[in-house]
Amino acid sequence: MLWQDPLAREVTRREFFGKSATGLGIAALAWLLGRDQAQGAGRVGGLDGLPHFAPRAKHVIYLFQNGAPTHVDLFDYKPKLKELHGQPVPDSYVAGKRFSTMTGSPQGKLLLAPVEPFKQRGACGAWVSDFLPYTAEIVDELCFIKSMHTDAVNHAPAICFLLSGGQIPGRPTLGAWLSYGLGTENDNLPAFVVMTSVSKGTTCGQIFYDFYWGSGFLPSRHQGVKFRGSGSPVLYLDNPAGIDPGVRRGMLDDLAALNRLKWDEYGDPEIGTRIAQYEMAFRMQSSIPELTDLSGESPATLALYGPDVLQPGTFAHHCLLARRLVERGVRFVQLMHAGWDQHNSLTTELYTQCKDTDQPSAGLIKDLKMRGLLDETLVIWGGEFGRTPFLQGNLADRPRWGRDHHPYAFTIWMAGGGVRPGLTYGETDDLAINVVKDPVHVHDLQATILHLLGIDHERLTFRFQGRDFRLTDVHGRVVEGILS
Amino acid sequence: MRETVWVCMGIAASLVACGVAQGEEPRVDYLRQIRPILADNCFRCHGPDEAARQSGLRLDVRELATAPADSGQPAIVPGSPEQSELLRRVTSEDPSERMPPPETKLSLSGAQIDLLRRWIAQGAHYQEHWSRTPLRRPALPSRSPWADEDHPIDRFIDARLQEQQLRPLGKADRYHLIRRLYLDLTGLPPDPEEVDRFIADRSPDAYERLVDRLLASPAFGERMAWDWLDAARYADSNGYQGDAERTMWPWRDWVISAWNRNMPFDRFTVWQLAGDLLPDATDETRLATGFCRNHMINGEGGRIPEENRVDYVMDMIETVATVWLAATMNCARCHDHKYDPFTRRDYYSLFAFFNQTPVDGAGGNPQTPPVLEVPTEEQRVAVTELEGQLAKLRAELLAQEKTLLEGSSPDSLPEEVRTILQHSPDKRDADQWQRLDKHLEGADSYRQLAARWREWKKRYDQLRREIPRVMVMADRDEYRPTYMLEKGLYNRPAEEVFADVPQCLPPLGEGGKRNRLALAEWLVRPDNPLTARVVANRLWQQFFGTGLVRTPEDFGTQGEPPTHPELLDWLACELIDSGWDIKRFCRLLVTSRAYRRDSRATPELLEADPENRWLARGVRYRLPSWMIRDQALAASGLLVAQLGGPPVFPYQPQGVWEEATFGNKSYRQDRGAKLYRRSLYTFWRRIIAPTMFFDVASRQVCTVRVTRTNSPLHALVTMNDITYVEAARELASRQWRAFSQEGADRLLESLFRRVLVRPPQASELEILRAALARWEAYYTAHPEAAEALLSVGEAPRSAGPATQLAALTVVAHTLLNLDEALSKE
Repeated sequence: MLWQDPLAREVTRREFFGKSATGLGIAALAWLLGRDQAQGAGRVGGLDGLPHFAPRAKHVIYLFQNGAPTHVDLFDYKPKLKELHGQPVPDSYVAGKRFSTMTGSPQGKLLLAPVEPFKQRGACGAWVSDFLPYTAEIVDELCFIKSMHTDAVNHAPAICFLLSGGQIPGRPTLGAWLSYGLGTENDNLPAFVVMTSVSKGTTCGQIFYDFYWGSGFLPSRHQGVKFRGSGSPVLYLDNPAGIDPGVRRGMLDDLAALNRLKWDEYGDPEIGTRIAQYEMAFRMQSSIPELTDLSGESPATLALYGPDVLQPGTFAHHCLLARRLVERGVRFVQLMHAGWDQHNSLTTELYTQCKDTDQPSAGLIKDLKMRGLLDETLVIWGGEFGRTPFLQGNLADRPRWGRDHHPYAFTIWMAGGGVRPGLTYGETDDLAINVVKDPVHVHDLQATILHLLGIDHERLTFRFQGRDFRLTDVHGRVVEGILS
Repeated sequence: MRETVWVCMGIAASLVACGVAQGEEPRVDYLRQIRPILADNCFRCHGPDEAARQSGLRLDVRELATAPADSGQPAIVPGSPEQSELLRRVTSEDPSERMPPPETKLSLSGAQIDLLRRWIAQGAHYQEHWSRTPLRRPALPSRSPWADEDHPIDRFIDARLQEQQLRPLGKADRYHLIRRLYLDLTGLPPDPEEVDRFIADRSPDAYERLVDRLLASPAFGERMAWDWLDAARYADSNGYQGDAERTMWPWRDWVISAWNRNMPFDRFTVWQLAGDLLPDATDETRLATGFCRNHMINGEGGRIPEENRVDYVMDMIETVATVWLAATMNCARCHDHKYDPFTRRDYYSLFAFFNQTPVDGAGGNPQTPPVLEVPTEEQRVAVTELEGQLAKLRAELLAQEKTLLEGSSPDSLPEEVRTILQHSPDKRDADQWQRLDKHLEGADSYRQLAARWREWKKRYDQLRREIPRVMVMADRDEYRPTYMLEKGLYNRPAEEVFADVPQCLPPLGEGGKRNRLALAEWLVRPDNPLTARVVANRLWQQFFGTGLVRTPEDFGTQGEPPTHPELLDWLACELIDSGWDIKRFCRLLVTSRAYRRDSRATPELLEADPENRWLARGVRYRLPSWMIRDQALAASGLLVAQLGGPPVFPYQPQGVWEEATFGNKSYRQDRGAKLYRRSLYTFWRRIIAPTMFFDVASRQVCTVRVTRTNSPLHALVTMNDITYVEAARELASRQWRAFSQEGADRLLESLFRRVLVRPPQASELEILRAALARWEAYYTAHPEAAEALLSVGEAPRSAGPATQLAALTVVAHTLLNLDEALSKE
């Protein structure tokens, strides 16, 4: 809504003064062209006074792993789990805890050793299992947080919680907050882009709800623009048959001329914004195809991302697009990859899942690093919770081994813009069930991400239903220990 | 910034109100000036929430704020700022004493502290929050100097304009008026013939008669229905994983019909919340209760049924609280409301009203009982007919079977057959029939009869399956106790509570049942201070773009106060006193001069009132996206104006559903007439809403607030969606057929009028003329492009020269994308 939108309000003011001074205001036109010097070079939109302090990162790529990757089998190495393999989980670890209804009571559940062996990797000696050979190669760039914990135990509420700070849909997500607060650096593209993919051959897919990238009560132009996996990546991007770009350009010129007459007569600033947005739409009609044209990428670069990189809709393809997006100044790129929900497929689908994501994730880090983009880009890899160190299924039936949802501890990694590389932060107990050192709650992670972008999470607020809402609700503290 | 503006307005208003002489200290207004400061900075710890209260201090109630707190000091000593602890603490330099505490990152400005000081000095007078004060009809202000005709709404509006020293603009011209009125009352643009008639009608009541015609049009109900469906979170699927299709559309059709019949809003309310509990309940009143069941249904594996059920009940009461009370009741799920006097107990007392249905929350059945079969008229007739047939056949069948059983020896009729025959024919399965057939090979007449019975029964069952089932409300016989839930968690019941209304509002009354019916009747009781204000405000929003209260979902202390409080109260009283007559109310709004004003903003008005809060000019804003689509269909002549029925599947880019649902749901686009139905009938899949709309409610939870953004993605829809291109070419073709003999100017003019209603100005016509010539030249050189453009969409390509039709299509498409076409002006 106009009245709660600082950008629009600013236009109102500026256009008004511009208009009364010179007819059609010069300042207004400058805004229309998206080149507002007052905001600092290259930045379009955002709030005055933001960032609050010097940012460590300018862009974010969130590699969101829907379904909850198993921290027990990938990162959080516990020799004792191997020792107690097949033994009932000690009551003291799980007493009074709620699990998914599939588990019901955790009492007497059997502990399950990691499926693949672990090794210490790189100079930093971080533990990564053989499931992730490519990630293992880049651990010295990564900062592992092993002490993540969350409030939600089912997928949709937990993902919603992680991305928006609330379990119930309706709040703005991280990317929307950043678009709102910081604007973007390329007005040929949206500030917040989302791409979704799903593991090949997964049997347990989770739905991607649009509230995972919603703008909630923020103006809806801040919501994530979801690129599609097939056909045109942005809906309605292609001109209709019989209208080529030249005709469209001419049509837009006529449209602008007629709209300007209207603007002169009616003075409604929204008309100016309309002209600007039609122009942006037109620019996106060419910037999006340019973005998705990978013919200029070298074979060496493509190889980094693995064999699927040229196949639209895959995680690998999206990782490459993510790099191209931040390269072009897009603020927040959210990739979501579903299929990590191994209730009964630890020894089967987990392999495919890792294969689909391991090399592209590592490739993205390497590629960003080589291009000098890693310093200014924050990359986050992780899911919505962890998986139970005890077994779901029958111990004798190895092909159907699984692990259930586990909100009490999970591992994520971060890299780039402002986080300490080669660090392992936080610790779980000797069975990877509970956090015992340096716990990081979801709100803490959110506060830290905003901090790295130069934002005090307590001061980025939006008034709705009479309350000043923020991403971190009324909680959250910056995890100082992981800052570089 | 806005806060400051408010404070200034408040001061200006109270200056006028009290007639204070210059130099005298103006009276501080508690509600406008003090309460917001306290609410934003203090109430979190010193407000209504008992659990969060610090130091035994409560600042929202005068008796408690002026009594000694834990420290022994009263926070406020009326008349004496010096002795008031409150003032000492907000001005203290000592961080350990300073309020609000530094870690909250809140602080008071010098101006705010000064306001507090003056307010305390003037006696620290509190007032009840405006929205909960009893409704009393305010006296009409005197007639304004600008009034050429008298209208009660304008008396209120003009009085504020005078205070603001703003001069209102005159009436918009008739072209603008008829377009505005058509769009607001029907959601469709007027036909050119209708426009001509209106322009030519010089009788003094031409406008009023137009209003009455439109209120009587069936399109009125469709227009009103959209906003109600948003509030009711209506959709054609469950939401969540699976997102199974449901058949709630007969409820949607009921809503349209209720608006069209001008059902009084109090009855509209009672039927939807408790139509099943009425002493004279009918299928129609039960159908109306579908309102409550429009919530999402979660079929996700691993969910506990009771947890789902609790979610559904919460959704019901939060929807009711928003739609009728504009109360943010959801804030009281886990703790007492931080800002408004709604307690957690209030929340669960409301919960208890809706906690009595037999729904158990298990599974994702989109027809979770209780359901109501809602046959169409044809289905109703067919059912009766088939039931008659079946009864006749059954009687014959049973008679013959009786003869068989009694007249046959045990040898000729084995025990197995006897057993089957003793089953009612309705209960026999295919296998049993087969065995009967085998054993009774000789009994031809019986077997023929049995075959006929089966055939008719099959038809009957099939028919019954086709009848839509609407989820409705019912209370079960056994009372289900309600408990306050710790943190809102289904498995953390605490103290038991009983059905009741919030304690800060008029009581439900003694005696009588405390059920949904009692609640519904209480909502529309004349002494309920909220409902009429809330409804009047939403209707105002529908015609003026924003409400008199700009937070239609929140009339609490954190919502915005009304710009015209007396007008809002007057309108609310009108609504009640007219017997909740909605059409009369709409008529009242659109006949005001405030509604009919010219919307051309002068630089002076833009500077003085950028957001047009005082309505010195007519409103101007972008139409809802569904209305933009309907307008394009109507202008092109493609619109199929059929009322109601099952949802339709218009053009949508390929693969959108498949991608969102991992291929589980495929979008099967309709063909023919169903492509051109009004947007209201488009199938609404909750997890992936129709892509051709923008800034629409998600239909996942109740939404009463309008979103109006201005994004490039919207431009892509209206420029590239097949619907708009096809509409443009149909529009062009029809105008060309009618006017091509009369020259380019006449053709362009008629095209322009078909979209924008008014005739073009010379400067506009000039641009269009140049465009048409340019595109004619282009398509002459590119005949294949012309043919391609004329083949977009499924409507047959009309006869005529391709170059001219294509050129005119581009012009028509340009017009459909004009800011004016997208806007109400």
